[in-house]
Parts: sequence; structure tokens; C-alpha cells
Amino acid sequence: MKRGRVTRVVLNVVALAIFVVVVFPVFWMISTALKPDDEIVALNPTWLPTTPTLSHFSAAVERPFFWEDVKNSLIIVGATVTISIVLAFLAAIALAKYGFSGRKLFIVLVIGIQMLPQAGLIIPLYVVLARYHQVNALTGVIVTYMTFVLPFCVWTLRGFLIGIPKDLEEAAMVDGSTRLGAFFRILLPLIAPGLVATSVFAFVTTWNEYIFARILLNDQSKQTITVWLSYFLGTSRNTDWGALMAASTLTAVPVIIFFLLVQRKIVFGLTAGAVKA
Amino acid sequence: MYGRILLAAAVMAALAMAASAGATVKTPSGQTAGSITVWLQVDAQTGWPDAVAAANRQFEQAHPGTDVKIQYQNWGDHLQKFDATLAGGSGPDVIEMGNTEMTKYMAAGAFADLSSRKSGFANSASWLKGLAQAGTFAGKLYGVPYYAGSRVVTYRKDLFTKAGLRQAPNSLAQYRFYAQKVGKKNTSKGFSPIYIAGTDWYFAMSFVYDYGGQIAATSKGKWVGRLDSAKSMAGLLAYKNFFKATSRASKTTDETRPNPYDVYARGQAASMVGPSWFSCCVGDKYKATSAQFVMPSHDKGKPMPGFLGGSNLAVPVTSGDKALAGDWIRAFTDTASQRTFQAKGNIPNATNLLGTSVNERAAVRSWFVPTAKHWVDVENGNILRNMLAQILTGRLTIKQAASSASDNIASVLNRP
Amino acid sequence: MTAAETSILESPRRRRVTLARLARASVPYWLILPVLLAVGAILGYPLYSLIRLSFQHYGLFELIQRQGQPIGLDNYRSVLQDRVFWDTLARTTVFTVANVALTIGIGTLLALLLVRVSTAVRLLLTGGLVLAWSMPTVVAVQVWYWMTNYENGVLNYVLTELHVGDFFHHDWYATTFSQLALVTALVVWGALPFVAITLYAALAQVPRELVEAAEIDGARGWRIFRDVTFPILKPVLLILTSLSIIWDFGVFTQPFLLIGQSQIHPSNYLMGVYLFEEGYFKSDFGRGAAISILMLAIVAVLSVFYVRKMVKVGDAA
Repeated sequence: MKRGRVTRVVLNVVALAIFVVVVFPVFWMISTALKPDDEIVALNPTWLPTTPTLSHFSAAVERPFFWEDVKNSLIIVGATVTISIVLAFLAAIALAKYGFSGRKLFIVLVIGIQMLPQAGLIIPLYVVLARYHQVNALTGVIVTYMTFVLPFCVWTLRGFLIGIPKDLEEAAMVDGSTRLGAFFRILLPLIAPGLVATSVFAFVTTWNEYIFARILLNDQSKQTITVWLSYFLGTSRNTDWGALMAASTLTAVPVIIFFLLVQRKIVFGLTAGAVKA
Repeated sequence: MYGRILLAAAVMAALAMAASAGATVKTPSGQTAGSITVWLQVDAQTGWPDAVAAANRQFEQAHPGTDVKIQYQNWGDHLQKFDATLAGGSGPDVIEMGNTEMTKYMAAGAFADLSSRKSGFANSASWLKGLAQAGTFAGKLYGVPYYAGSRVVTYRKDLFTKAGLRQAPNSLAQYRFYAQKVGKKNTSKGFSPIYIAGTDWYFAMSFVYDYGGQIAATSKGKWVGRLDSAKSMAGLLAYKNFFKATSRASKTTDETRPNPYDVYARGQAASMVGPSWFSCCVGDKYKATSAQFVMPSHDKGKPMPGFLGGSNLAVPVTSGDKALAGDWIRAFTDTASQRTFQAKGNIPNATNLLGTSVNERAAVRSWFVPTAKHWVDVENGNILRNMLAQILTGRLTIKQAASSASDNIASVLNRP
Repeated sequence: MTAAETSILESPRRRRVTLARLARASVPYWLILPVLLAVGAILGYPLYSLIRLSFQHYGLFELIQRQGQPIGLDNYRSVLQDRVFWDTLARTTVFTVANVALTIGIGTLLALLLVRVSTAVRLLLTGGLVLAWSMPTVVAVQVWYWMTNYENGVLNYVLTELHVGDFFHHDWYATTFSQLALVTALVVWGALPFVAITLYAALAQVPRELVEAAEIDGARGWRIFRDVTFPILKPVLLILTSLSIIWDFGVFTQPFLLIGQSQIHPSNYLMGVYLFEEGYFKSDFGRGAAISILMLAIVAVLSVFYVRKMVKVGDAA
């Protein structure tokens, strides 16, 4: 249909315009990372570096503890996301598909935790973790992140589960499988896009978290990459903008890789939903 | 019915587990045996790592078997981290504190008393008064002076010589006169003959003290704000006029957004007021033609009182081994270390070590903030900065802004 | 169930049936137990501690002594009588409404757009959204500040070049409205990717055959959205809205870092910043705890409408 094609072209153009606006700060960050110092502080900004340089990237990587802190971030985020998604999925099934007394109480608890202002909990949490010797330890941070990520994951996954039409569930149970079995065989592929979106969120949130990582981790060899980044700005002396932007670009890379790995799942989920008849 | 009981039991168990575990596990009271932890600001990491290494070597030789862990902190959040360690333990044995931050923590009993060890610290008989005062509370020594810094003018010698200035100006009026001449010769948009950030209260208050005013004073045991006195307001008016005549910086921003030397380095400023280490970052183009002089007073021939910034080293009460902590401080503040700090452009902590650099000459006439327990809250509450922004933008008259700031300062300082 | 159960203790056959039923009935409890344990073990004591703190005078001195002085409701009274608290609350409410409306509105439009564009453009836009999302907040704030700075911000440059006006040395941080508008733009920009991608994933669950069936019936665009798409999106939309309210109300990092520590002032406080300033900077932890509890109560009230709907939707399914 001709009208459909024109609409599509118009929408494509709109999408591209939005892309430019959304991506601009990222572009500015990368462009600055590649500019030599004098272009960075120049009065009239240049869009693209006239003489691109990789010196900022090498300066950033050579700063103390870069690789250790990347490793720490990967460990913390990997553990947090994996454990949280599994636990949250189980709880979400309970909330979405079972009617059990105390359900409302659990829901209130899950939502309530999200409403807690995190800043208020910093010191009490620190005191508790110190008692268990979990300060200055990766496990302490993992456990802290889990408690903030879990309620969100439970909630979001519940939403995705509810969205699945009931007749699909019932069709699965017709062939005699238990309710739980039906979930894992039929619904899991259907909810794959939701699982992916939730895990991407969990990944991004924990990868970018700063306040608790800063307070709980003292040894620079144990800190996360976001804390490492803050050292560029903390000094009262010369701020190396080029290196900061280069370092920031580097910290974004794992997130992008993670998304590239899982975005196929979203596409797969799309086609799976279409095939279901 | 069963469901509800099961759920309640689970919740109770979880909470009880947490609470009881908290009650029975003992709070650790110090570091692992055989090591001390030192919190220094990142300035040391980038500025004088050799002094740190030397102090560590000296300490480890004197105490074989004990090693030193240095953990570098940022000015922005080191106090929040410190608060957390005071609450939960596992904090540092030595901590670097800004001199304006000391009073609040000394009053709260955060530090160990070092008075008995005072004579053991190098040059303690001639410590700089400002730094020593910052580290003393109720007659007891809690913070050992580390280093200080004052403010000087960094300027483009070539531009000012072309305008006719051949030596350091001897008065504020003379500086302003030549600055305006430089401004007339340079017509690029937004060029500041003197780059002054609008809410740079360290600089603005120098005017207040120069005219004989002050920020606050005690009267009958209570703090009274003095920014609305005639002398203080004269100083504020002088600051406003000076700013309007010579600076094109934002009226509402502070002295780190942007860094004055970034503006200077791209040729948008002919001079700037700030710490002497600004000379590091004037840009390759202007390194050869830049020099420094002491900021002159409106009184001919005198320097303007400069804010004496600096740091002290203290031993938190939560430290596991205060004696060792004191020994490390002694190693790090000995004369050799002070010479290193001095070489890097800082002011050493004792008058017998003072040299004749511009930075040190500027420290001769200085002012310091009211030594009140809650002064840090006045700084963090941006009361002075906000007042300056209102004065410079014209939103309030000097009298209105100064009165309201004085009232705010008094109510904050007088809090129990 | 209860009446029948009391008589089960007689018959063995009935007992076996009930045991099986019990096993099946306990499945949901086993499913939620791990989450409960994880959260309870870590947050249990801090929460209790926070509540207790709010009834004590607990400053720096008390922190070091590890002992607070009980003062009953004085902290709450002091906060509720503080003019700054009410001004901040009003300001934050307006801020939250604006942010949530923009985030959810634009996010939904983006998700709908993603479904309809060609694959290459979709991948590009999704990739762009993820790129924006992957920037750590502290970095994003620095970049945004830099783009909008007084001396050489690219925003001023572009606006002047486009002849919108003379924006040379325009100070975006001079007035409260301007400051908070920038913070809003930053927060919405950071929140859009998540909302758009989540809604897009939810749209992927809309069975194609339902849409086709509606189209065959003669429905178009808006009606399809209203009758087919929206009901399936509803649970996810409700979640995203309630979460956005919670997050935007308590936002701290963006306003604090973008406006800058030296320009934060009661005239531009948002609740998250107010809490941090009162509790941490002033080292009045008891008062900070009281503010936290009050914030929790307010957010609960603000989001109760959506939360109730969410619970109802779950029940109906």
C-alpha cells in the first residue's frame, strides 16, 4: 500500500531525528575523548576533532587500578543480575499466577522497599554490613545491590507475566503438565523479551551505581569502575577532561556489549509471539 | 489461614535473624594487626607522591612488621565516608581534614588528643598560627598542621606591560586601572581582564576584611552576623564594583565551574585570582609570559588579606593504634616533607620554614573563618555564595542581601 | 476451606488429599521465600534502625558515642514546622508530575514508533537509546553540564548559530526555573531508554492475530491502540508510572551534581537533595531519618492510586 510506505518513510525520518537528539550527549562524550586538549577548552566548540588523538584513552587506561576496578564491576554486576533475575522470576510467578493469602502484604513490601529513600539508609546499612565484616568486600556490595534491584525486578516481571493471555496458559495445561511445568516450558520463551529488558535494567543500574560503592569500598583495588571515574573529578587540581571522557566511554562499553548480546532475544521473542497461533 | 502464618513466620525469621546477628557479633575495633590506614586527599597522590612514599619508608623502618595503607579521598564526599566509619568502625588511623572542617569534628569528639605528643612533631614551636588554631579545640591539640595555601594573582605579563604596568600594582585602584586598559585593548567577546567567579566567597570576603569588616563575631557567648555592618558592606560594595569593572564571568557560578585557568589558557582572561598552583595550568602558549603577584589592598602599599586555606592531620578516636598513627604523622610532617610541599608550591606549616615565594608573602596578611562548631554548615548551605549572587545580579541590594545572610549565619552558628 | 479442613483429621484418605493440596498451596510461599530472606536479612535492621533514629537526637557527637538521646516526636515536629520542607515538597511535586508525564508520554510514543519503523532504523534507534542509557549518571551529568556551561557550552553556540537569539554567555544556572528545567531534561533523557525499551518489549507480546482481527473488523490506528494494545500494555504502564513517580520524587544525583554543590540552596531544593543536605551535610542523622520516613509516606500517598490499580489488574488476570 502506497500510503503505508509513505507513513513508514515519515516515521523513519522522525526516528532518525530522535536518534540524533538522544545520542548527542554520547556523541559529545566520544568526540571530546578524541580531541586534543586545546580543542576541548576552545571557545567555539568543534563538532568533530580536526586532529583526533588516542592519547586520552591510553592516559585513562594507565591510571592506577583501572583493570582491577573493571574486573570488580563485572563480578559485582554479574553476580547481582544473575541471582536477582532468578529469584525475582520465581517470586513474580507466585505473584502473577497464584492466589495466596498474604499476597497483598508481600506486594506492599515489594513496593514499599522501592519507596525507601536510599540516601537515608546509607549509614544504618553500613553499620549492619560492618558487623558482618562485609565492608570493603565485594560480597557486601553485591548483597546491597540485590536488595535494591530485587523488588524492581519482581514487580516488572510480574507485569510481563500478567500480560500473557490466560488462554495460552490453559492450552499448555491441557496436555497434563503441572502448572509450574507449564510456566517453564511455554511461558518462559514468551516472557523472554521481558526477562531481557529487566536484566538489562538490572545490569545498567548496578553498573552505574555510585553512592553505595563509594561508601562501602575503601581499597582502590576493590572499588568499582564508577568510583574509579570519580577520582578524575575529585582532585582540586587540574581536571583532565579528555581522559575523563575517554574513561567514561570505556566504562560504557560492557553495557553496550551486554545489550548487543541479548538484543537478539528481544527480536526472537517478537517472532515467537507472532508464530503462536 | 496456613498461608498467612507461613508468610508471617518467614518475615519474622528474617528480621529476627538480622537483629540477633547484629546483637551477638562484636564490632571490630581496629585494623588488622600489622597495618595502619591513612586517608589523604588526591592532591597528595598527584602532587607529591614522593613525600608520601618517603614517609611510608621512614615509618616502616621504625616499625618493622607494620605496613601503611594509603587510601586517597575526594573533597566532595570524604566527610560522608568518614561519618559512616565513625558509626560502624573500620575507619582510618590517620585522616586529612580541611582546616575549615576541623572544628565541627573536634567539638563532636571525633579525634584523639595529641597534646602530649606536640613537642615530638617537627617545628611545632613555630607552627603557622592559622593552621595550629584550626587544629586546637578547648586548649587541646587534635590536628597537626599539614600544609597551607593562600591566594595570589596570576597574570599575563605581556598584556599588562603593553598597557603600561611594569611592576606589581601597589593598590587595588592601580590594579583595576591597568586591568581596564588591558580590557580596552582586547576586544574579543567575553574577555575578562581579571577573571573572578561571581560567588568566589574566598575572594569576596577578602574585600570585607580589607575594609575592616568581618563575617561574624561572638557577643555575650552567642554568634552575631557582621556582614551588615557598615565596614563589611563597604567591602561588599567594593567587591561588586571591582567585579563589574573587570570580570565577564558568570555572576552565579563558583570558582570551579569553570576552572579559571581553563578560561585563562584559551586567552579569555588577562589575569586571575586563585591558589598559586594555578601556574601549572595556564596553557603552553602562556607559560612563558605568566607571572604572579600578591593581591594588593585598597590601602596603598599593603597586601589584601588572603584566605589561608590548608589541611590538618588527625587521628580518629576509632583508630586501633593511635600511637602508631601519631608516628606516621610525625614522619609525614617532618622538615624534609615540608620542604617537598614547599617545592610543589604550597606554604609549609611553620614560620621558620617560610620562604619568599609569592604564595608565602601573600600569607603574611590573612583572614580565617569564624571558629565555630557549625561553620561547615554555613559553607555547605552556600549562604555566602547565594548572597554574592544576589548582590551581583542586582536581585537584592547589598543591605538586603547582607542582612539576610547575617541572620542566616547567626541562626546556623548558634544551633545547639 | 477452613470449615472443611477442621474435619480432615479423621479420615486418612482425606488427609492424603489435603497433604497434596497443602504441598501445592505452599508452592507460592517457596517461590517468594528467597526474595524475602535476601531483602529481610539486609534491610531488616537498617530499616528498624532508621525508624528508631527518627525519634532520637542523633548528631555527630551521638554518632561517635554510638548512643542517641530519645526526643519523641521533636524531629518530626521540627521538620513539619520548617518552611523549607513545605516549599521543597511543593516544588518536588510539580517536578515529579512534569517528569513522569514527559517520560511516560514520550516513552510510549517512542515504543509505538519502534514497532512501525523499518528494521535497520529500529536497531539504530534502540542502539542509540541503549547508548544513552549506558552512560553512568555521574558521567552524563558532567557531559550535560559541559554542553550547557556559561563559557563555551555547545548549547549556547547552537542556539546563537540558529539565530534563536544571542545566547553568548547565557547563564542557564542563574534562575531556579532554568536549573530545574535542565534537570528535568537530563532526568527524562536518562529515563526514556528504559521506558521505551520495556514498552517495546511489552508491545512484542501483543499477539499479531488480535491486531489483524481488529483490522479486519475495520478498526484503525487509535482504536486499535485503545481496544487491543492498551489493555495488554496496561500492567506494564502502571508499573512504569508508579516506579517513575517513586524515582523522580526522590531523585538526588542529577539535581545535586548538575546544579552543583555550590549552587544548591533551599530555593532550588528537591526532596532527595533536601534529605541529603539536612541529614548528611548537617550531620543531623535523627532529623534526616525523620525526613526519610516522611518521604516514604508521601511517596506512598502519591503512588497509591497506581499501586491499587496494579494490584487490581493482577487480581483480575
